[in-house]
Amino acid sequence: MALFVAKRLLMALATVLVVAVLAFLLVHAMPGSPGAVSLGAGASQDAISQLNQQLGWNDPLFTQFFRWLGDAVQGNLGNSLIDGRSVSADLASRLPVTASLAAGATILSAILGIALGVTAAVRGGLLDQAIGGFVGLLVALPAFWVGIIFVYLFAVQSSIFPATGYVPFEVSPQDWAMSLALPVITLAVGGAAFIARQTRASMLEALQQEHIRTLRATATPTWKILYVHALRYASLPIVAGIALQFIGLFGGSVIAEQLFAMPGLGQAVQSSVSTHDAPAVQGVVVIATVVVVAVNLVLELATKFLDPKLRAS
Amino acid sequence: MIPTVAPAPADADQAGSTTAAGAPVPGAGKAVLARFSKHRLFASPGAVAGLVWLAALVIASLTAPLWLPFKTEDQDFTAVLSGPTAAHWLGTDELGRDILSRIFAAAAGTLGTSMITVIVGVGLGTILAMAAAGAGERTEAAISRITEVMMSLPGTVIILAVIGAVGTNIPMVMAILGILMSAGIYRVILGQAKSLQSQLYVDAAKVDGVGPLGISVRHVLPGLANTIVVQAALIFAVGMLIQAGLAFIGFGPPIPQPSWGGMIQGASQHVYDAPWMMVPTGAVLALTVLSANAIGNALGKAPNTAAPHLPSAAARRQRAKAVAAIASAAPAAVTQDGAAKGTLSVRNLSVGVDSTGAGSGVRLVTDVSFDVEQGTVLGLVGESGCGKTMTALSLLGLLPSGVSVTGGQILWNGRNLAATTDKAMETVRGRDIALISQEPMRALDPMFTVGYQLTATIRRLRGMGKAEAREEARNLLEKVGIVDAARILKTYPHQISGGMAQRVAIALALAGQPKLLVADEPTTALDVTVQAEILSLLRALVTDTGMSVVMVTHDLGVVADICDQVAVMYAGQVVENGRTDSILDNPRHPYTLALLAADPHANHANDMPERLATIQGQVPQPKDWPTGCRFAARCQFAGSACLEPVPLLSSGAGTGVVRCVKADQLAVEGMDWLATDVPAARAFEITPTQNPRTLQTIVEKDLA
Ligand code: SF4
Repeated sequence: MALFVAKRLLMALATVLVVAVLAFLLVHAMPGSPGAVSLGAGASQDAISQLNQQLGWNDPLFTQFFRWLGDAVQGNLGNSLIDGRSVSADLASRLPVTASLAAGATILSAILGIALGVTAAVRGGLLDQAIGGFVGLLVALPAFWVGIIFVYLFAVQSSIFPATGYVPFEVSPQDWAMSLALPVITLAVGGAAFIARQTRASMLEALQQEHIRTLRATATPTWKILYVHALRYASLPIVAGIALQFIGLFGGSVIAEQLFAMPGLGQAVQSSVSTHDAPAVQGVVVIATVVVVAVNLVLELATKFLDPKLRAS
Repeated sequence: MIPTVAPAPADADQAGSTTAAGAPVPGAGKAVLARFSKHRLFASPGAVAGLVWLAALVIASLTAPLWLPFKTEDQDFTAVLSGPTAAHWLGTDELGRDILSRIFAAAAGTLGTSMITVIVGVGLGTILAMAAAGAGERTEAAISRITEVMMSLPGTVIILAVIGAVGTNIPMVMAILGILMSAGIYRVILGQAKSLQSQLYVDAAKVDGVGPLGISVRHVLPGLANTIVVQAALIFAVGMLIQAGLAFIGFGPPIPQPSWGGMIQGASQHVYDAPWMMVPTGAVLALTVLSANAIGNALGKAPNTAAPHLPSAAARRQRAKAVAAIASAAPAAVTQDGAAKGTLSVRNLSVGVDSTGAGSGVRLVTDVSFDVEQGTVLGLVGESGCGKTMTALSLLGLLPSGVSVTGGQILWNGRNLAATTDKAMETVRGRDIALISQEPMRALDPMFTVGYQLTATIRRLRGMGKAEAREEARNLLEKVGIVDAARILKTYPHQISGGMAQRVAIALALAGQPKLLVADEPTTALDVTVQAEILSLLRALVTDTGMSVVMVTHDLGVVADICDQVAVMYAGQVVENGRTDSILDNPRHPYTLALLAADPHANHANDMPERLATIQGQVPQPKDWPTGCRFAARCQFAGSACLEPVPLLSSGAGTGVVRCVKADQLAVEGMDWLATDVPAARAFEITPTQNPRTLQTIVEKDLA
């Protein structure tokens, strides 16, 4: 088990490093030098090359990357070319927004998805078909469109929730929750559908296992077979599905943040990509990767822990 | 949200596709695919509707300039942000542009560029999977690692960074999206590619000198065709959603070119003053995604998934109704003769496939009767496919989903279990009648320790406290011959050997102190030495506890070893039933004769024959059961009289019965089942016109 954890940690580190290189190269392939981006359209060629020189843009790529990496491990991701703010500080203030969104959406998806999937598998018949159809519909609905409909229903028609904006938790926990409600629900629609499918399939597979017959042969009550034994067996793929979903939701928050005007990482990617703000793009790609890889690692270890075969070895 | 850059989950439907195309005929893959897809695609109304919608959309979009009422850029300032009108069927946007025209104008581009993702993603994923499957473990491990890394990346963020570098070059972005998604496709396809790669005909091709590439293309690819099409449809849908999502956040085709995502983005600005605007575009996008998904799901639908061991609530309700029907059909039929304590009497039991679903109405067991006295062991013997296991499982009310008792009675202590609800059977199972099955490893729950499984069962069946049950669990394990019980209690099933697991499974069956043990081939999956140990354990348990056993087996050695009575089953019927010694020494039915002749261990009465007979042919499928003797097609003694239904008659040996018109004649003449070809003299009576099935000959087999 310790070896397994060590291997996975190394893999995670390698993943982040690969993405860092990738982000670095992509940023360098962006049109426009940092000097040009920073000084804007009216700047003189001299001023631009001077700033480029100052930023080390003309150094070999190798040097530039390791300089960036050296700074990055110390928590310094450089400064924005647009407004000169520290990228680290900016992202640090944005991370909680996206994290709340993605975590909230994942948790809500998991609860709804597992409930729907288990119900479909356990009840069978017409209810199963109805849930299957409903879930199929949810999968096909574009999240941003669902979001607009929610805004229309819950913010325009009846102002239960605020339509846009984010209130930090420290300011008001209640308003924080209210401001998250619509974006979280929006993201959870597709997520719940995904997890419902995964759960239904895993539960059915669990119920096909022969030990279920042994449990029946020893008069185990039905509820216990379903919710203790079958669900336990199905938990491994379900948790793996949730991990996959978190990755999707974390990236997917771009759209929710755009739609609901939330100052999160997604909004930062969107705006920094539009403005060719190289350090910001690079920083946000790496930070997003670190978060996703870390959460994924934790969930993966959780699945392994759920599996007696792997736990024992 | 941009949906996760991983393919849809291992949905039941999709997982099933692995088996759907599991064993293709080499080279015939295309034909198989065409037949399959046609069949399944058109069986699903959703998929047909999806195909029609996609086709209509593509045609409408490509011909758009010919018929669209407005140009996409036409601005009608007299009707800005209007709802549906006679002029603008789907309304207009903030610049007065016709929404219908823009939707259809944008369709071809959206569908076309999504196809780029499909081609790149599915193509790359398939190539990677075939390479990994063909190139050995190390390559596979390396590719799998890389794809794992790819799947754990925040794909959306990376796509956005790519856009930063290459601009909103949509074909390029969709191709890179395809690369990111290929990891998930690889994972879906790999398992199937590996199983195809390990097929015998692939080995044969290798021996013939076909290179790895040839094998992949000629033998593996055709088998993957269905899965590939399924994946393509699903990825197509995801591609469209992502593309629209990108356009929504401003990375779509350059303004003013219309795109679905961009139009929804425009609509989101007017949710306060013109909510209608978001409806048409969103609905069209959703419908298109739904269509692609419907096609993918219809193709990926598993033709027959295994039945669950615990039927769904809906199926249980249906079964309860069937049981009630049986109970009301024969309410007072409970006879006193079966009422003796600990006696099982099966009377005219029939089991069949339920009328709903595939194979409806097929009979699996017909008119089976036997008795088991307390403290005795009955063997149910026959080849596989004879209905032994179905008969055994019906005793506990544990027939698989979709199969149920269709007639007859199972009298246990005078109570008809065939007419007992599932709920009520819970008082019988474990306490009165217990089950041990063929594969001990699979019979135990892999997620819980042996100790948990045993103590939970003991507490439930015996009402004991925790500590007491723990103690009893240890006693039980010792009783079934496990020396280090304390250690075994702490293990998980995968940590113990098969023989040990079968002992644990027996202990589990004994937990409720049952009076009758149903053992379904309990030694078949075990090593020969372990088999003997388990058999002697069972024999000792019968002597010690006085319980009775119904032992399902195909092994006459097991019968000779442990059974008091034998019921020989063939094609869903009992063909001979009687005391073990009289049947083994003096078999009356040709099938019993044949089984004995084919069994090296059971020939204890005679000297070991030089050649061992085999019974040519196979047990007929239930749908092929003839009205006459069901063994006729394989019987060395078959004659014209055998084409009439054959009743079960007394064999003359005690209460023994036999189902053969020639039983008496054979007994008088002392005929043997020959290990040589059927002599013409024996086959004289049957002509091909009388019996379409050719009379099979008996193939000799050297003992060496
Ligand atoms: S009835 Fe005829 S065919 Fe059937 S077992 Fe007897 S001899 Fe053979």
